[in-house]
Amino acid sequence: MELILEQMPVVLHSLNIGFLQTLKLFFVTLIGAIPLGLIIAFGSMSRFSPLRWLTRLIVWVVRGTPLMIQLLIIYYFPGLVLKNNWWGSGETGRFIASAVAFIFNYACYFSEIYRGGIQGVPKGQQEAGMVLGMTKSQIFFKVTLLQMIKRIVPPMSNEIITLVKDTSLARIIALQEIIWAGQAFLKGSQGISGAIWPLFFTAVYYLIFNGILTVLLGRLEQKLDYFR
Amino acid sequence: MKKLFALLLAAVMVLSLAACGAKKEPAAEEKPAAEQPAETPAEEPTADSDMAYVQNKGVLVVGITDFEPMDYKDADGNWIGFDADMAKAFAESLGVDVEFVEIDWDNKVLELNSQAIDCVWNGMTLTDEVTSAMECTNAYCINAQVVIVPADKADQYQTVEACADLAFAVEAGSAGEAEVDALGYNFTPVKAQSDALMEVAAGTSDAAVIDSLMAAAMVGEGTGYADLTYTVGLNSEEYGVGFRTGSDLAAALNDFFAAAYADGSMLECAETYGVQAALIAQ
Amino acid sequence: MAILEVHNIEKHFGATRVLEDISFSLEQGQALAIIGSSGSGKTTLLRCLNFLETPDQGQIVVQGKTLFDAADPDTQRESEIRKKRLHFGMVFQSFNLFPQYTALQNVTLASQLLAKEQPDFKANKANILADIEVHGKELLAQMGLADRSGHYPHQLSGGQQQRVAIARALALKPDILCFDEPTSALDPELTGEVLKVIRSLADQKTTMIIVTHEMAFARDVADQIIFMDGGVIVEQGDPHQVIEHPREERTKQFLARYAEN
Repeated sequence: MELILEQMPVVLHSLNIGFLQTLKLFFVTLIGAIPLGLIIAFGSMSRFSPLRWLTRLIVWVVRGTPLMIQLLIIYYFPGLVLKNNWWGSGETGRFIASAVAFIFNYACYFSEIYRGGIQGVPKGQQEAGMVLGMTKSQIFFKVTLLQMIKRIVPPMSNEIITLVKDTSLARIIALQEIIWAGQAFLKGSQGISGAIWPLFFTAVYYLIFNGILTVLLGRLEQKLDYFR
Repeated sequence: MKKLFALLLAAVMVLSLAACGAKKEPAAEEKPAAEQPAETPAEEPTADSDMAYVQNKGVLVVGITDFEPMDYKDADGNWIGFDADMAKAFAESLGVDVEFVEIDWDNKVLELNSQAIDCVWNGMTLTDEVTSAMECTNAYCINAQVVIVPADKADQYQTVEACADLAFAVEAGSAGEAEVDALGYNFTPVKAQSDALMEVAAGTSDAAVIDSLMAAAMVGEGTGYADLTYTVGLNSEEYGVGFRTGSDLAAALNDFFAAAYADGSMLECAETYGVQAALIAQ
Repeated sequence: MAILEVHNIEKHFGATRVLEDISFSLEQGQALAIIGSSGSGKTTLLRCLNFLETPDQGQIVVQGKTLFDAADPDTQRESEIRKKRLHFGMVFQSFNLFPQYTALQNVTLASQLLAKEQPDFKANKANILADIEVHGKELLAQMGLADRSGHYPHQLSGGQQQRVAIARALALKPDILCFDEPTSALDPELTGEVLKVIRSLADQKTTMIIVTHEMAFARDVADQIIFMDGGVIVEQGDPHQVIEHPREERTKQFLARYAEN
């Protein structure tokens, strides 16, 4: 116990740096995947069938393969096959490659949730808008969108909380997020070696952050509770 | 049905394309190596050699893991250690900067071949798998694989034979795994040497096999694993540095090692980190 | 001149013909009731008038202007159909109120969006929006819902929701107001309040087409009645004559079956 207290400042400093990287990946993924998912959702509902099939094929491949493999392919493929490692070696390149993989992967998951949300809004809503002389975009933004958001908040909340934990997969391409930082003390880092507790302690970070997210998403759900 | 068939066909095409790409890649790597006569001095690299590539971009990217005493961070966050210091000196001799990048050890060959890093220099045991996948230097350090057991049971396991009934945890793909496998002992592969130690500490495995250098730094009095100790040593292993297959940098580093050993700077560096006993004459 | 003329409308869903040679006309201020069993094509006909379905044959003429002609692609442009829909108001069987808006917002939303397209909107924004709101409140008051304007649809009974939907359709001042079985989704005790509102609209000489199963109501309110079966108009004429003394055998059978239930 005394030893842990002694190690605490060094370990926390290191875990904080790792968690910052985790948070960065989390937010960048959300900012990228939320709009990209909508574009993919429209593609998969397109009346132009080649586009619809292509989009659904991509979604199938991305959802049907492990994110870990996608990370490996996205980071190593350019250097291995194209002979041009455009990501670079350093932390920045690894972060960008991780972000690309995560955004694409999560956008595909989000797109299916959006599709369910859009298709779940009764057809009568759209027709009511049409007979009132609204344009397609007015119907989407003024009528359908909010009803769709209400429908997708619960499944999106699940995905978002999964995303927080999934960020740890990025360590396969050596992105130094919080679990990487925690594990470093097992092998030995900054004068501390063979310390197991920092790895387990990372769980506290995830728990607290997911707790905050759960409260915020719950509030959003409550806010949309004024209509049915 | 037609659409489904077209879909499958497209998938097969994509896969076969990817396979072609993968097959072409080692061939492209071998070519410059074959063209380059063995006698060519490393100091005169051909235009498309690996050395020219590194000198052109002006930085040698060294793939490492956080591994005391070979590569680790000092209080200011700078990479130090026996390997790190030697890598800095080697880069200086090439006239380039050095950059240390932490990698996932399982992906070291991927990292090299994708040019994410230029060499693996991190107390790497020269196993057959390593030497066949990389262009390796001569060995520069000796390292034994040792058995780790709880300190209170150490008396019972002082010989290789006494360890026969133990359940081992070993790092997947490590020299330690090769040793216990060859002995026919019961083992579980884990992701890292440190994970193997955790298995023993947690009692989920009876014993682990790790590098003696790592064991010295990580178990026993004053470490996080005060209750563990190491007993019997298995086969000795040697450390080397790995480059991309066909790279002329391996030969250049051999020359550099020989010079550094001759003028005593290598031994001096080894003494700084307490690994002088393991140093191999160059 | 008739306000609405429908000529030879025909509509297929795949191989199934759901409307065949439908022609009728409607005078300004008249109410037309369409009766018939389910699947007879009544609802499809209304949806054609509102351009929710595109007829395969025929013309739709409003106030002498041809809005739709199956033979003339110029009349079917997507961009113009939106404006053409405004000649018709539509009240759906299942109300289709926008759940996220209050009763008043449901009534005023479309007017606000249309007002934004006016060139003088920016200059008179406050006045225009205030007028729209006053008009919306008047319509709700007319429906007997003055005290419900701030309620959301799920806080209203079915009858109240349908009355909001009628106010919403009236807000755009359509030439012809269409009702698609407006009371079919309501509990029996709630149909009265909706029928009362439609009756008062008829008294004010609102031009209307009502698809309904309420025979007595159709007879009392309509100026003209159409009985449809199997996608064709079987009988057409004065309500008392069609309902009390039908000439066609199929009409008699339908009314007899209806009386039993």
